[in-house]
Amino acid sequence: MKKDNFKQFYKEFPSNPDARVKALKSILEKEGLIDQKALDEILDTYQNKVGPLNGAKIVAKAWTNKKFKEDLINNTDQVLKDMDLNGRQGEHVVVVENTETVHNLIVCTLCSCYPWPLLGLPPSWYKSDAYRSRAVREPRAVLSDFNVKLPISKKVKVWDSTSEIRYLVLPQQPPDSKEFSENELVSWVTRDSMIGTGFPKPPTGE
Amino acid sequence: MSKAHDMGGRIDSRRIDITSNDVKFKADWEKEVFAITLALGFSSLWNLDRSRYARESLEPKDYLQFGYFEKWLAGLINLLGENGIIKGGTESEDNSKKRSFRVLEAKNVKKLLNMGGPTKRESTTGKKFNLGETVSVRGNNSNTKVDKGHTRLPDYVKGRTGKVIAYHGSHVFPDTNAHFLGENPEALYSVEFKVQDLWDKYEYFEDTVVVDLWESYLEKFK
Repeated sequence: MKKDNFKQFYKEFPSNPDARVKALKSILEKEGLIDQKALDEILDTYQNKVGPLNGAKIVAKAWTNKKFKEDLINNTDQVLKDMDLNGRQGEHVVVVENTETVHNLIVCTLCSCYPWPLLGLPPSWYKSDAYRSRAVREPRAVLSDFNVKLPISKKVKVWDSTSEIRYLVLPQQPPDSKEFSENELVSWVTRDSMIGTGFPKPPTGE
Repeated sequence: MSKAHDMGGRIDSRRIDITSNDVKFKADWEKEVFAITLALGFSSLWNLDRSRYARESLEPKDYLQFGYFEKWLAGLINLLGENGIIKGGTESEDNSKKRSFRVLEAKNVKKLLNMGGPTKRESTTGKKFNLGETVSVRGNNSNTKVDKGHTRLPDYVKGRTGKVIAYHGSHVFPDTNAHFLGENPEALYSVEFKVQDLWDKYEYFEDTVVVDLWESYLEKFK
């Protein structure tokens, strides 16, 4: 059988991560392998441009537009492409709908796969060992850590993102939000409601 | 025993720290690691599966102790090391790989991030299983070509039985792609497992877990 092991080069670098990345960066700069402007552009994209607002817009539109919702579920990648919401870590997306009988929950047990173009970068807890370990074995206990209690009439369906398919939960629209417009509804859609660890709720502090 | 990164179903008594809601970076060095890793991902010297394999291959005690971006940083250094870009904590004299290294320019960032790296390919192999079919996951989740190699078959579903609920077309096969043995696209399915078929003790019998699995991870149910 073929062998293909990594040599642990990182041990030859300073162990403090700040010093370690500085040492690496100075090599890459010296060799001309990185362009600082490109690094700035990447950071600006994920710090300022891409975030859960993208997903929230889609959810609010799906709540108020039946045709859009059908397209979104059945032809997801094309719909996202048309809205310029596909891209790195969202190349192939599946939207899973919460109903009266099913509650969906998303995890990646092998690393921390997450639909970046729709939700931005994942929160720390999503990347934690505890979440990655427990979500598939005891999802209801995990949900109670988020103060989410589900009736036994709802089945929990956990989606483990082991391939390049990324999952987005389409949460149920709260009954007391029915009178609001698509634009107003965007602020009801929380990030956690699109992962399955929360519900949409009325906007606060406005 | 499963590898350190293969965490699904591992007994863990820690609560989820929901106060760790931050998505922003905790320190400037994390920003640097994130941006450099993404930029170098476009260098053409490795692929996404290789970089996952690099992180999984860190010494297990480091994998478990390192924070998320510390894993990224150590994995990245190992990738640069195996490509001869660095040597012994400094740059290497070997210039062979540096010549084929594509440096990411600012003007291409938006275009390349929007493009991403789709893994769906024209099907060359067809598909063996049908929607609704009961399938078994093979009993061994080791890479079949490379000793202790990369795989996306989690330990907790090996040897288990579930039902095919979606077919996603053919996708690049991580078990070979991570080792530069070709993309070898294979049919990719979502397989739904009842919790009572996964765990001795479970919370509610109607709950399920869905896992994306490539065709060669699966066998006909007997």
